[in-house]
Amino acid sequence: QVYTINLESRYLLIQGVPALGVMKELVEQFALYGAIEEYHALDEYPAEQFTEVYLIKFKKLQCARVAKKKMDERSFFGSLLHVCYAPEFETVQETREKLQDRRKYIAKATNQRDCFVLKKVEGPRKTASKNSEHDCPWSTSESHVASNWDPSCCTSSPGVSHNTAYPAGNQNQSLLTSPHYGNNCAEIAGYFGQNTSLTPGVHPGGHTPPASLMQQRMVPAYNGIDRFMPRTTHLQERKRKREEGNKFSLIGTSEDSTEVVVGPQLPEIPKVDMDDESLNTSATLIRNKLKEVADSVSTTSVEKPESSSAKPLVKQRRRI
Amino acid sequence: MELGRLEYLQALVTEFQVTDSTGNKRRCSLALSVSSVSSHTRLFSLAEAKEQVLANLANFAYDPSNYEYLRQLQVLDLFLDMLTEDNETLVEFAMGGLCNLCLDKTNKEYILAANGVDPIINCLSSSNEETVVSAVTTLMFLTTPRSRAQTTALPVVECMLRFSLSANTRLSNLASIFLQDYCSPPQVEEARNLSRHTAVGIPLPKD
Repeated sequence: QVYTINLESRYLLIQGVPALGVMKELVEQFALYGAIEEYHALDEYPAEQFTEVYLIKFKKLQCARVAKKKMDERSFFGSLLHVCYAPEFETVQETREKLQDRRKYIAKATNQRDCFVLKKVEGPRKTASKNSEHDCPWSTSESHVASNWDPSCCTSSPGVSHNTAYPAGNQNQSLLTSPHYGNNCAEIAGYFGQNTSLTPGVHPGGHTPPASLMQQRMVPAYNGIDRFMPRTTHLQERKRKREEGNKFSLIGTSEDSTEVVVGPQLPEIPKVDMDDESLNTSATLIRNKLKEVADSVSTTSVEKPESSSAKPLVKQRRRI
Repeated sequence: MELGRLEYLQALVTEFQVTDSTGNKRRCSLALSVSSVSSHTRLFSLAEAKEQVLANLANFAYDPSNYEYLRQLQVLDLFLDMLTEDNETLVEFAMGGLCNLCLDKTNKEYILAANGVDPIINCLSSSNEETVVSAVTTLMFLTTPRSRAQTTALPVVECMLRFSLSANTRLSNLASIFLQDYCSPPQVEEARNLSRHTAVGIPLPKD
């Protein structure tokens, strides 16, 4: 079964509820997963003998999602519940809002792919009003019944680079194109693709660029690594190459033949093409930064500051 | 566990070249290794394996953090290719997958550039309810100032008019939103006038 936004709904249909007058307990049980807006029995709905069917409407889709996942096929007063979405009960406006929420979620998710969203964050984050009532979608970890991912983070972009290289080169970013979706300002935020460039000037429609996000802490995204196989592979590859580079540092020749090499040669930063534009960009930026640091200090004492400045970079890189 | 699933998928999504009837090599990414569906003890037919993989991919397409990965695997092309398959289930899953990922700007542009709108419009005439519903939503999501002419072409608007009268709430809701939010009143009026005169149109899906 494929789950699309059309299949999901704030409305849940619950079948198999034993006809023992347990509506109150049922609702209480479901209320554990979120605020319930409405509920009632569906007397006209076909039901097995001695069972009843209920409709429960949650305030938020995420809550319905979690509730469905947890309560489906659960035993309740000796009977097995069957819980499913019931989008057919939605009004046009509710469906419309559902689609809008999905739009906003995607816009957010692809806009700030390098951030962790914690429940608290929603306050200081966006001053634009449109997200205020919308729950941080990926703070609830059960986003998907079928895929069983744990999308507690958006990790696909190179988070590291933001702390070091963010103020630098945004030139190669595909910035906002003209707002395509006049009627939906969620799209205006656009998709930055690579380093989320926050060139405030480009944002039309009064959508505040989430500059504050950039300064927010980079929460380690270890569970993100697991999901992103190619990334992990790249990371390991780079690590390996770096280590190999280190191995040769004592015996290798300096490419910079003009330099007088005193002591063990610094490890050459491997120019790895990571097959990914965004990673390459950040890698280049980091490399440039390191070069900067290297150049500004004398050769003899370079190693120590370099390694100490490299260390935090290395540490941060692992967080991707 | 999640890592295992990804590896599993990666192993399945392999590229192979298919030579179609005109002798052109068509690139198609799909599962062939039926045996690697190891968690089940019964044998899968190739069709079932394909459906399974497609369903998994379509579900992954729901989560934006997978989008880059899916693009790398050219799953967008895969979804578009599957829209013209005979197997209704494959079409349903592919259409669902597209619906899930088409809101992302990069994906959207990719689909539009790949002339994806036409096969999606064709899906409106499917007898499969899920396919149609996904197609309506996808057309909405794909509507941009540039693509509007295509996604809200007269036949489409006509179709939506009829859908909006359907007894199927999901369908009628979506069609209504399409007409109200994505079409201009003159467009709707034109379609209404047209359908008053013609009896033939895109049929409603069977429930």
